[in-house]
Amino acid sequence: MVYVPRTPPENNVSRTHPLVELATLLGGVAAAAVLLTLAAMAALDWIVPHIPPRLEIRVFGGLWPGAEALGEPDGPGARTRALLLRLATHWEANPYPLQLTLLPAAQPNAFALPGGAVGVTSALLDSVQSENELAFVLGHELGHLAGRHHLQAMGRSLLLSLALAGFHRGGSEALPLTAASLTALRFARDQERAADRFGLWLLAQEYGHLGGAADFFSRLPDAQAPQAGLRVASWLATHPLSADRVQEVKDWARQNGVPLQGPLRPLPWRHQDRR
Amino acid sequence: MILSNTEEVPGRKVRELYGVVSGSTVRAKHIGRDFMAGLKNLVGGELKGYTELLREARQEAMDRMVEQAEAMGANAVLNVRFSTSSVAQSAAELFAYGTAVRLE
Amino acid sequence: MDTTIWIQLISSWGVPLVLLALGYGVGTSVERSHYRSLRIREARMRSLPALNLQRPPAHWKIAGAGMVTGSVVVSVDYFKRFLAGLRGLVGGRIRVYESLLDRGRREALLRMKEGARQQGYDAIVNVRLETSRMASSRRDGKGTAGVEVLAFGTAVRIAR
Repeated sequence: MVYVPRTPPENNVSRTHPLVELATLLGGVAAAAVLLTLAAMAALDWIVPHIPPRLEIRVFGGLWPGAEALGEPDGPGARTRALLLRLATHWEANPYPLQLTLLPAAQPNAFALPGGAVGVTSALLDSVQSENELAFVLGHELGHLAGRHHLQAMGRSLLLSLALAGFHRGGSEALPLTAASLTALRFARDQERAADRFGLWLLAQEYGHLGGAADFFSRLPDAQAPQAGLRVASWLATHPLSADRVQEVKDWARQNGVPLQGPLRPLPWRHQDRR
Repeated sequence: MILSNTEEVPGRKVRELYGVVSGSTVRAKHIGRDFMAGLKNLVGGELKGYTELLREARQEAMDRMVEQAEAMGANAVLNVRFSTSSVAQSAAELFAYGTAVRLE
Repeated sequence: MDTTIWIQLISSWGVPLVLLALGYGVGTSVERSHYRSLRIREARMRSLPALNLQRPPAHWKIAGAGMVTGSVVVSVDYFKRFLAGLRGLVGGRIRVYESLLDRGRREALLRMKEGARQQGYDAIVNVRLETSRMASSRRDGKGTAGVEVLAFGTAVRIAR
């Protein structure tokens, strides 16, 4: 045998360009994450309406403090509860025995709570200027209850933590999780818009006009016409931009023939001890 | 192309030696297989998904080695050896090498 | 408030993007120059045979023998690591790691050959190759700092 030096070909490396591979992988992974999230949202959308309110009330209803915790019968808490119940009379399909929960907190905020409760913070009651405005906030939360959004939000965060648990490897789980959460946030913003519309409808039923609704949004910090940076950041937000919500109030008023402004009723407890 | 993991092919003599040829491929498993493997880790047994994956990868590595040998004009690869090593958290390198020769 | 949003976006996406671009740009040029050097040195070393047969051809008159080794640790850049992580989700061939290991192997073999020639040997038999992963200094010990390739064999001196 004789040694004949020959060069082996360089065939141990595949021919695809790394940037092409990166683009395909990024695109593929992002697309898969978005599709999976859409499927999960659709599944939630299908399952949640089948959860009977009776079950929800039985499991969660006992968690929230009763009407006695709201303070004196003429105070803000009890009056807000009365307003809530009055608004809910227009919602004929309401399955919940509604409760109001008052939370002492420095930030104005309101929540829809499982079991059929609406939570408001004391700061919110301090910051609203009229009964109509408060009614819109309560109506928005009733809109969430009507759409069972609170249950869907719980389902969404459960699925997201499951996904996080399954993805515990290097730095590349950031991409599919970001794609998934961006898709999920879009659903969250759609739900906020639906709750807004329900609140507007309740206002129209109770007062005959939408006065107070636009005022509430115009006082939120991002209410001015948004610049480019805010627009991009709005994809990361759970709520639509306030300027957009103001516009939707005006559009809703026009579409449903309801006047945008009207006489605002003062808060029932305000004129007693503040002015 | 004759592949053998022995020094000599019985009955045939080596006319020319061309040198070491190798074939390798790096394969990653996907998250579905990972998940099934995680479940299997509870009950034991063969991880069929991984067996399949590594078998395909080893075949590809051998094919690349044969490609190199053919390009060098060989008609046999002797003393074929395999090596598997983990190169990243979810990937393994399959490596096959041998000596490319011309049998008469 | 506008600038803080931009700062947030840039810090969460900008830094990885810059690292990726750096890894790709510098990594590719390092790889290309390494391949060039490999080809030149391989051409120079072609006259020294490296075989993985256990016994040298019978007609060689062996005048001396000794073990020679060559090894190298090639490191993984950020771009490769990121791609490998994505591949770990969908499966398939990781091309960027193939080039890494190809380079590592050829470099280790070359160093073995160059070492043998330096010590006056004429050929190497029973060449074996070993590859292993160096773990990175991450907290959980996972991740790859680099890949070590070792080539070793018995070098022989042929009497003429």
